[in-house]
Amino acid sequence: MKEKLAGIVGSLSADYADIRYEENRRTKISYRGKRLVEVTTTETFGGHVRAYADGGKATASFSDPGSAGSMAEAVAASARLAGSRRDKPLRLADAPVIVESFPITSPRDVRNVSFDEKLDLLTHYNEMILREPTVATTEADYDEFTSRRIFVNSEGSVIEYEIVVANIMGRVITKKDDVLQRVRFAYGGNEDFGRIQNRESDLEKGIDVARRLLDAEPAKAGLFPVILDPSESGVFIHEAFGHLSEADGLQNNPAFREKLQLGANLGREILTVFDDPTIPNLPGTYVIDDEGVRGVRTELITKGILTGRMHSRETAAEFGEPLSGNMRAADAFNTPVVRMSNICIEAGASTFDELIASIDKGYYLVGAKGGQTSGDQFTFGAQWGFRIEGGKLGPMVRDINMSGELFSTLQAISMIGDTLEGSERGGCGKAGQTNRLSGKETPPIKIDQVTIGGV
Amino acid sequence: MHRLIEQAKNAVDQAELYWKRTHAISVSFENNRLQEITENELSSVAVRVIEGGKLGATSAISPDQDGLIEHAKSAAAYGQPATFAFAPAADYAQVEASSQDAARLKSEDLVDLCESVKAEIEKERDDLPLFVGAEVSREELTIQTTEGADANHRSTTVDVAFGAPIHGAGMPVFKSRSSVSPQTRPDDLVAEFLEWYGWTEKTSTPSTGRLPVIFAPSASFLYLLPLWAGLEGNAIEKKTSPVVGRAGEAILSEKLTIVEDALEAGAAGARPFDDEGVPCQRRALVDKGTLGGYLYDLQTAAAAGASSTGNAVKRELFGGGTETAPSPWPVRLVVENGPTPCREMIGGIEEGLLLYHGMGFHSGNYPQGQFSIQAVGFHIKNGTVVGRLEKTMVAANIYEDLKNIRSVSTEDGPSIGFLNVRAPYILVDSLQVAGT
Repeated sequence: MKEKLAGIVGSLSADYADIRYEENRRTKISYRGKRLVEVTTTETFGGHVRAYADGGKATASFSDPGSAGSMAEAVAASARLAGSRRDKPLRLADAPVIVESFPITSPRDVRNVSFDEKLDLLTHYNEMILREPTVATTEADYDEFTSRRIFVNSEGSVIEYEIVVANIMGRVITKKDDVLQRVRFAYGGNEDFGRIQNRESDLEKGIDVARRLLDAEPAKAGLFPVILDPSESGVFIHEAFGHLSEADGLQNNPAFREKLQLGANLGREILTVFDDPTIPNLPGTYVIDDEGVRGVRTELITKGILTGRMHSRETAAEFGEPLSGNMRAADAFNTPVVRMSNICIEAGASTFDELIASIDKGYYLVGAKGGQTSGDQFTFGAQWGFRIEGGKLGPMVRDINMSGELFSTLQAISMIGDTLEGSERGGCGKAGQTNRLSGKETPPIKIDQVTIGGV
Repeated sequence: MHRLIEQAKNAVDQAELYWKRTHAISVSFENNRLQEITENELSSVAVRVIEGGKLGATSAISPDQDGLIEHAKSAAAYGQPATFAFAPAADYAQVEASSQDAARLKSEDLVDLCESVKAEIEKERDDLPLFVGAEVSREELTIQTTEGADANHRSTTVDVAFGAPIHGAGMPVFKSRSSVSPQTRPDDLVAEFLEWYGWTEKTSTPSTGRLPVIFAPSASFLYLLPLWAGLEGNAIEKKTSPVVGRAGEAILSEKLTIVEDALEAGAAGARPFDDEGVPCQRRALVDKGTLGGYLYDLQTAAAAGASSTGNAVKRELFGGGTETAPSPWPVRLVVENGPTPCREMIGGIEEGLLLYHGMGFHSGNYPQGQFSIQAVGFHIKNGTVVGRLEKTMVAANIYEDLKNIRSVSTEDGPSIGFLNVRAPYILVDSLQVAGT
């Protein structure tokens, strides 16, 4: 297959071409309440081809490996058409030619674990949740994705690599009268089955929170200082800042590009943010991206100053900045786009007690609940939280959404905690594809003022 | 019948084949330049079986791949009890959803269309970093079962979308249109875009309190997704829906009629059968505010002692696809128009909001009918738009707040990405707004 694909990209009438061919397997087991609602195995294969010609770009996905050659020809023709209708040619930054294999090897690789063992573990966790009297229903999923990929390009790179991700995740859903509350759990995030075993005490904590939330008070709307726990600070930095550091979004947005020039002051000296696919045991850890470029640590904000961003070969050439290896695709049916690997905030000097003590009237927000960003506006929820009054944690609160404008909020980060916590689940949506390999490692942070919108 | 179904008759109790073939060409302009041409030729297959009273499934690329029935049968050994049978033979409505002219479109045609949209906007505004995209896709969907269903549907869709990020904020103003046939330049949308973009040049933050709010068609997902979550069969079965047992009762304003209409000829996304091969319908989910019925697929219908309403769709809140198990969703929603022009709605508001998007919807408690979002839209004062919203949150419970609707517009349009929707502007009497 490698030789065949290399032959195809080598013979195209294009300035550059690559093909990524994949064999993917997915296993999904789902409980909804007591009911095992889904046991699915999926085996797919297919390819994605990209070509740059005469300054234009075209891509294609195909299911039938037999059509790789004809699709590649069509893509090269489309790239030439695109080039003829563009006044400014697209270019690619130079990248090293790599001829290497990067297999995943782990003693507890989920691929070596029996289906029965996976089902038994999920059933065990689901039954634990169902034993809680306030539980109305559960959502509990085992989700495993494995991918064997071959990447070849017209410059001579021939790379074989693998992606293996397994998670157990879901929601504890409790109900009392008309109040329904949901608390998420997620374990795993890479190939190691050990990471999703023996998590009973973590799950018990989640069940306890879901029960207590039934009697919690709703958050009050208004402007407040907040402490974000690591899960919340991770989502904040990913959603609000991380996506704006992905250069493909900036490439064609002149106003933001102007605002986000390297050297811009974005925060206080305590704030350092970086993207790093080389940290072991996080969901966004990988060796090579889907453009055949090695993933490296990229410092994004250093002591408050914008110092770098995440790139494809195309955007690195456009911006004249170094390659970062962040170009990734969900599967063969999607073109790679620039994505965060593991986005991280460097730990600071403040203890948790100091963070809480610094607030007279505000909130401590816990547990990411999804976020969204558009331009410089962001919003995301917290699964639960606590009122802070007179520097002390008060009663539990629920129904919390916070929102704000990125640049003023970054400047309002005034304290950073001294402990780090990594995420265990990827799953970031962009350009119509969900990236499983997306991680975070962050400390708790204090933001002097955000808008809290109660329900 | 495909030979996979013939073979399945001897291997398992029941089987269902879902097979989708898609060919799509899309072009995208970014910052006024042609960024990329994309062509996809994809096939995907899902096979479900019932064996020994249990359900199993597998997905793949082609129905000719080896071992599909065996894989699904292995999964069935662990599967949930199947309390339903796969779809039987049925007479499907003729739904015209395919255009030969659309199927013949080439990438050059799409590039030309995008360039003409761009040129039309540039006549008025040559300072905007425009994005313009066009796509044509043709799709063939086949669903066959050992119980006799033999459904086949061909469709074409042509999409045009364009917009520009708001200067200084990055958030876009955008317009889009989908059709079965090739499109000409959408001059009405271009004019609307230019007016709306002009409104973004100033920012404005409304007062905190209860204010009237207009939902533009693109923001209709904010009330339609909570409604879906309340009507779908799983929430009815588990009794977690706030409207369980309330069919025939008034749940929304009598000015609102919301129809599940999968069968409208010539409408993009119209289709004769759902993703389980059950005939689709035209029926009012909400008729002048009164709850008409729920959304069922085969499984949830069996649990409720009802019949499938033809609402099995392979999707989730975000995404979905062939490998996704079907669950109850609207196939195509139409919110019926009213008598009030949108300008008249705006003109009658002392202070209020025009929402065209809301951020953070999915982190709210939407299954209970609630949302709390960061408002994306415009601030209205004394009957005119005074600027785009900044630092504004809007919270609502649709089953309380949408009981009081002042007016519904004559104009309509699609919703943002989540659902296949045609909706008018609706003016809600008041919602909780957190601004200054």
